Amino acid sequence: MDIFPLYLTLKVSVTATFFSVIIGLGLAYLMARKGFWGKGVLDALIMQPLVIPPTVLGYYLLVLLGRSGPLGRFFEDKLGVSIVFTWKGAVIAAFVASLPLFVRPARAAIEGVDRNLENAARLLGKTEWEVLKTITIPLAWRGIAAGSVMAFARATGEFGATLMVAGNIPGLTQTLPIAIYDAVQMGNTKMANILVGIITLFSFSVLYFVNRFTRGRY
Amino acid sequence: MERSDVSLSFSLKKHLHFRSRSRAEGSDKSGFSVDIEFSTGEEFTVLFGPSGTGKSLLLNMLSGIVKPDEGFVRVDGRDVFNSTAGIDIPIRDRRTGYLFQDYAVFPHMTVFENIAYGIDRLPRSKIKAKVEELLELMRLGGLENRFPIELSGGQKQRVALARTLATEPKVLFLDEPFSALDYQVREKLRADLLIIHERYPITTLFVTHDLEEAFIMGEKIAVINNGRLEQFGTREEVFYKPKTRNVAKFLGVRNIFSGRVVSADGTTVTIENPELGEVKALVHPEERPFAAGEKITFGIRPEEIMVIRPDRPIDKKVQDNMLEGNILTTIGKGANHTVYLKLINSDTTLKIEIPNFAYRKLKLSKGKMTTVSLKKESIWIIPEKQVKV
Repeated sequence: MDIFPLYLTLKVSVTATFFSVIIGLGLAYLMARKGFWGKGVLDALIMQPLVIPPTVLGYYLLVLLGRSGPLGRFFEDKLGVSIVFTWKGAVIAAFVASLPLFVRPARAAIEGVDRNLENAARLLGKTEWEVLKTITIPLAWRGIAAGSVMAFARATGEFGATLMVAGNIPGLTQTLPIAIYDAVQMGNTKMANILVGIITLFSFSVLYFVNRFTRGRY
Repeated sequence: MERSDVSLSFSLKKHLHFRSRSRAEGSDKSGFSVDIEFSTGEEFTVLFGPSGTGKSLLLNMLSGIVKPDEGFVRVDGRDVFNSTAGIDIPIRDRRTGYLFQDYAVFPHMTVFENIAYGIDRLPRSKIKAKVEELLELMRLGGLENRFPIELSGGQKQRVALARTLATEPKVLFLDEPFSALDYQVREKLRADLLIIHERYPITTLFVTHDLEEAFIMGEKIAVINNGRLEQFGTREEVFYKPKTRNVAKFLGVRNIFSGRVVSADGTTVTIENPELGEVKALVHPEERPFAAGEKITFGIRPEEIMVIRPDRPIDKKVQDNMLEGNILTTIGKGANHTVYLKLINSDTTLKIEIPNFAYRKLKLSKGKMTTVSLKKESIWIIPEKQVKV
């Protein structure tokens, strides 16, 4: 059995989740604690992947990141990196799709941190960064952890947008969900069953651990 | 912590505009402003006033949590905020001690970690010594490894106080710190706080809407209403010489009347009121002179009204201002009784506060005819011009 799809899926999901958490944490903090012009628009934009069809999302990314697209040309000319139809394209598709699943619970968790606790820390002489590190994030960590797991799960299951951006190149861009689709198309039921089993087991354990994370001490 | 001479002076203006979020409410609440100026030294100063009049907002602006539009805040002779000079020192550098109503202890840290939070840059041995000293002082010994969830409300507030004292603040602000606690705990904590203030005399502003608390705690009292300062002075001045009708009202004086000066002779002012007749009041020579014919507001605190014992000769001091009436109702509370006396031939009811022992001795009861005297030296007078309604 070819384990490449499994390996690629893990590589893509871990990378995408990493970016979702780093960028998502900044966005979640911004949305939870700051008021600024265009906040509603930004919020709607981040949440888009939850509601638009994955193929539409994939199409947007393709247009944006393709060789003639504004971002794609920049990457190609200035950095010598091509995105579409590579595993990097799959990472970007998984990142965009999983971002809202991280931002939503992380934002709610940060909003749930009593502002007076942050103010108390400032009054005790702490900088904004110290407040974030010692008060806000530790108190919001359950939501942040839950969001990370959800984002990771979403990234592993990404299909539509990935297919549009990265394509279906066996041994190069074929992730697990795409491999399942392929196996079914070719009538390889045994292969499909194994891959479906792996995904099911994985998804089930993810939800189980999310539920455990959301139980807390204080 | 060494003794320091610290003072706080400020003059602030802030306009906050709240736009009602839901249109269904149909109102565009125009906002709220605070415009206050006074300065205070290391005395224990109480900010007193009804709820929602800007006391907490004032503390928030003084500490830097909320930024004022205009004005200045000066601590120990140094501007920490000054809108004209463009100074706005960040909260973390202002060395402000602050107690919140809901304690704001860090739930994910032990008592020890909470108290050590603001001094974590010190060497480990110093942190330990300091935390232990404060644990002792705040009666928290043995609780250092507990989490806040395992503490009572009073203990949490003591942790918060220890945590803020550890950083040796220059000023201490307390925003109704004991209002969520039950009576006995509150009394104990008030005493603790006064003892600590004596030991570490720093400028302290204590916000409360509780009259009793204001009286117990405040060496100086600032009465605040609608974002404005009604009066600032010592406890005695504010309680016994209110400057405005509002101050008198907030401080529990129900016996407020309008009148006209009949004659003013040195320290004695004779006032005429249609319900009470002629009332004599003693004024301090330094106070502004009153002229005959001037319209004024006057009043007396309920505990300053003397009930006359019928079986004894009347003392010379209380011979003036004698009034007679029927007792409408009496309410016993704590160590005192409140008696409502309806004057004869008048619609006026006086509120009288009398200690329980005197109440029993005088055999007061509902319906009893009673003679009272308004003590001359206890009547305060406010010129009509200054009266704000």
